[in-house]
Parts: sequence; structure tokens; C-alpha cells
Amino acid sequence: MERLINSLRARLMSVVLVINAALVPLLYLGVSAIVEEGYAEQFVNPVRSYSRLVADELESADEADFERRAGALLDSVVLTGQVVFAQIDDGQRKLRSSLSTVPSAAARHDDFSFGSQADQVYYISHPVKRASRPVVLRLGFDESLTLERIAAAKRRVLAALLAFTSASIAVAIWLSAVIARPMVRLQEAAKRVAGGDFHAQLQMRSSIREVQELNHHLERMRQELVGTNDRLESEMRERGVSEQKRLDLERRLLHRERIATIGTLAGGVAHEFNNIMTPILLYSQVALADTPADSALAKDLTRIVVAAHRARNLVTRILTFSREMDLPPATVFSLRPTVEEALTLLRAIVPANIEIAFHPGGEGLPVLGDPSLIHQVVINLCTNGYQAMRRSGGRLAVSLCVVENPAESQIDPGRYTMLEVSDTGHGVDAAVIAHIFEPFFTTRDVGDGTGLGLSVVHGIVTSMGGLITVESVVGRGTAFRVYLPAAAPPAGALEEGAGATN
Amino acid sequence: MERSSVLTMRRAILFLLLLGIAAHGRASPDTVVLVVPADSKVIDLDSITVRKLFLGLPVLINGSPLHPLRNRSDARFDSIFLQQIVAMSQSAYDRQMLIGVNRQRSMRPVEITTSARVLDELYSDPNAVTFMWLRDVEHNPKMRVIRILWSD
Repeated sequence: MERLINSLRARLMSVVLVINAALVPLLYLGVSAIVEEGYAEQFVNPVRSYSRLVADELESADEADFERRAGALLDSVVLTGQVVFAQIDDGQRKLRSSLSTVPSAAARHDDFSFGSQADQVYYISHPVKRASRPVVLRLGFDESLTLERIAAAKRRVLAALLAFTSASIAVAIWLSAVIARPMVRLQEAAKRVAGGDFHAQLQMRSSIREVQELNHHLERMRQELVGTNDRLESEMRERGVSEQKRLDLERRLLHRERIATIGTLAGGVAHEFNNIMTPILLYSQVALADTPADSALAKDLTRIVVAAHRARNLVTRILTFSREMDLPPATVFSLRPTVEEALTLLRAIVPANIEIAFHPGGEGLPVLGDPSLIHQVVINLCTNGYQAMRRSGGRLAVSLCVVENPAESQIDPGRYTMLEVSDTGHGVDAAVIAHIFEPFFTTRDVGDGTGLGLSVVHGIVTSMGGLITVESVVGRGTAFRVYLPAAAPPAGALEEGAGATN
Repeated sequence: MERSSVLTMRRAILFLLLLGIAAHGRASPDTVVLVVPADSKVIDLDSITVRKLFLGLPVLINGSPLHPLRNRSDARFDSIFLQQIVAMSQSAYDRQMLIGVNRQRSMRPVEITTSARVLDELYSDPNAVTFMWLRDVEHNPKMRVIRILWSD
């Protein structure tokens, strides 16, 4: 109800009704007063003049013939139709026209304004001067005709005012509809915008300038709102991406720090272990040299020497992972020959149910480092791959390509040579990937692997300023991507990879 | 006998009282009369001349113009003036006066709103003509009644 009362249409209608309710009675009263005054004027003026004229006529009548003349004059006056009473009073007797249509009203006072008495007769008395004795002429004029005219005029005024009221209400209804319709449409469009439909245009057709301007301004506001909303959404998306990148970087940084911590720890242990192994190996070799070859002691010493070599080899790999191994001087070389040589070796040991595919992708870019280490990287990654497919078979793919500004966030923009090793093995889940480059982390059975292969690869790649990533889907396979920064080769310094590994 | 004399006396007192009331009523009816100063040369004015006079038209008596004074000291005078003297409505009178002033250079009657000033004007101007209640002038030797204009 309140919603209906406060609506624009109801307000407009209320205003019109209030104006009509206030004005129409006032107009009716005012116009009626003017009408009454006009008709009274039209009545009173001739009545006064006429009665004066009759009195003057009577005053000029001959004294000898006064009574006859007066009687004729009174009858004549009544016969005009407007006079309903005519009488002459000389104080002793009253001479009254027999044609008078109203009875004598001796006690009745004179009228000085129209309609002042209810008898609808306007009485005027005029003293008439005569030589013998003054008389009083009394005439009564019929007011009924003028009263009827006034009533008819008032009815016409009332009808006109009612017509005006009806017309104004009709105009108000039409006008309120004209004004309210675009506002209602605008309101509906604004509701759609408020409901999230920012592309609902605020368009309404109206001939009212204020409404047009309101529509124009609201449409501009909507467009600005849409623009602001788009900007905010874009910023939120960018912020989301940035936040994701930040979290990824943080995660990788933590991972790298953990790897580095483990590497440092492992490197320290390996150094100490190497120091312990050195005399064991040396003294067992010396003892073996002094012992007859076919003796049982020589066999035991030989086992010691072999075990010591295995231990030293293990230490070397740990040191490689921790990057504390004494690396040979870095050279600029091309990856392709090194990768091809490693694959040649691998083909000899990889089971027949595993297909090895190499996609060199051109010569690639020269990199700075030790070709033998890259050789080890390829061997380790491929070994890891074919072992994942050892039972089911599959395809081991190795590819080389040049990458400009890789999408990986943890390396600087630039030109890189990417070595990708992928298999179609069982794949690993995210929990394994989180620890895959940690030393001694392995998913294989005890004794089936040392857990150092991928950590050594990580150490080599990192020492060359590169990056290794892993992507795996359980049941579909795993892909390792090694990004090595391109090196600007000094003049004539580029070596052939095959020659370097040899 | 005694009782009948008392009744007779009472009837006599009542009769005298009624007679007194009637005499008083008859002696002072509401009557408006046309008056001039006692020393005025005006003997009589017929109704048409009175109308001319108060419509601002010149009226000469022995070569002297009469000076109409419209007495407005009583509110009832206005109605009586319009109905009995000029015999027209207020608007018709106003219109007539405007026409007279503009076309015929006639003078609008002097309008006076206090009885004292009316009397002063009458005393000082022998050519003045005005109207008053009869009761105000009937015993005034300085004024003379010309004719009765209206009587209730």
C-alpha cells in the first residue's frame, strides 16, 4: 500500500486531485459570485430607473385627473410583465392595480439589494410630491426570472468546472503515464544492472528533456561501471595469476633450499666418507699387490677394493649432486652430438619393448659446461624413463629445441636449449614429484636404486645455470625438461660434443 | 365598584402607553429628505433636477450653480442615494460619473463621510444641496427641507 502511495503516478494524481479539490470550490464560489453580481446589476439598474420614471410620470400628472391617470399608469406598469405589484398610498387610502399578481405587502420594507428577501419580489417605494397631498408609489418587481437565470448560469459553471476537473484528471493520468513509463523502464534496466547484467543498456525513449538527460547520465554511469568492473576483474585475474606465480616461486624456492641443504649435508658427509675410503682403498690395493694372486686373501682384498671403488663412485655422485665436486673447465659445446652418443649407449641396454625416439630439432644452441656431465644427465634421465616402462614397454622420446623466453617463472628470460626426455610409463603423483630431486629418494624397492640419479641430474643442470622441470600424469607417463642457457661461443671455441665426450 | 375603577385605570394607563409608543413611532420614521441651507434661494427641486444635480450636471438657480453634497455619514445613505436619487446601480452610477467627467466635464459631487462636516458645508455654502435623516434636520432652523426622498 505504501509502495502504491509513494509511486510517481500516485503522487502526480494526488497533486492534481488536491489542486482540483482546493481550486474547484473556490472557482465555483468566485464565478458564482461574479454571475450573481452581474445578473443583479442587470436586474437592479433598469428596475431603479424604471420605477423612478414611473414616479416622475406620476408626479407630473395633472392634479384634477390624478386618480384616473394613476390607475391607468399602475395597470400599464403591471402589464409590462416585470412588475407584479403596483400601488399608490396617499396616507388615507391605497390605490392598487387590479392586475397585481402578488397580494399587498404593507409590512414589507423596501429592497436595496437583489434577492435580499425570500419572496422573490423587489420592492421600491418613491415618494411622489403633489400639490394637494404627497403620495407614495410602491412597485414590486419579479425577481424569479433573474433568479432562474442565475441558477442556470451556476449550473453551467458547475458543469464547466466538473468538465475541467475530469479533463485535468484525464490529463494527469496520461501525463503520469508518460512520465512514469520511461522511469519504470529505467528502473527495470537498473534492476538488471544491479543484478549483475552490466551489459543491459539503459535506453528509453521519452520526449521529456529531463528524463532524456537522466537516461543519458545513468547510461554513462553504467558504462563507467562496466569499465570499472572489467578493470577490477582484469586486475583480480592478474593478481590471482601473480599470486599463483608467487606461491609457485615460493614453493620452488623452498624446494631448492631444501635440496641445497641436503646437498650441503650430503657433500660434507661425502667428503668425510671419501677421506675414510681413501686409505681403505690405497691400503687394500697395496695389500693386494703384495699378496699372491691365487690366494684366498687376494680374493678377499679384491672384494674390498671393488667395494671401495663402488663406495668412491657413490661419493663422487653425491659430490656431483652437491656441486662440490671439482668440475673440469667449462667449454662451449653443442648438445646434439652428446645426446646422440648417450642414446647410442642406451639403445644397447634398453629392452626391446621400449622404443627410443630422438627429435633433434636442428643443431640447437651452444651451451657452456662439461659435455660429460650432459652425457650423464641424458643417461640418468633415460634410465629413469625406461625403468618406468620396464614391465609394460612404451616409448622413450628425447628431443632438443630452442626456446625463447620460457614460460617457467624461475629462470630469467632469454634463449635456452631445451632437452626433453619423456616416457609413457606409469607416471608419478604430486607427492613424489615434490621429493623427486632429493638425494636417496626413490620409489623403487630397496637395493634396486640409490635414489641419486635425478638428484645428480639436478645438481649438474643447476651448476650450469639451467633449470630442470618435471611433469607427470599417473598412468600416462613423465616428462623432464632441461633448460640450459645459450652461451655466446668465443671465436673458434665451439667444440664438437662428440669429441669432448671422448 | 372599586375593582372596576382599578381596571379602568389600568386600561387607561395601557392605552396611554400604547398611544405613546405609537406616537413615538409615528414621530420618527426613517425618512430621508433633501435639504438646503435656510438662506438658500432654492424653493423646490423636482426629482429629475435632483438626479441631474447628483449626476454632476450643472443646475442653476437664479444664475448660481447648486453644489451637491453626497452625504455618506451613514452606510444606509449609499443604498438610498443609488435607489431613490440617481435611480441606478452602483456600477451604472460609477460608469455614468466617469462618462460625465470625461465627456461633459461635469463635476463629481463632493462626498462627505461625517455629519458634522455635512452641517458645516451647509452652513457655509448657501448653494449647497444634500440629503439627511429627517430627524436630524426637522428642528434645525438653519436648514430647510425641500422634499422627501424616501420613507420606510
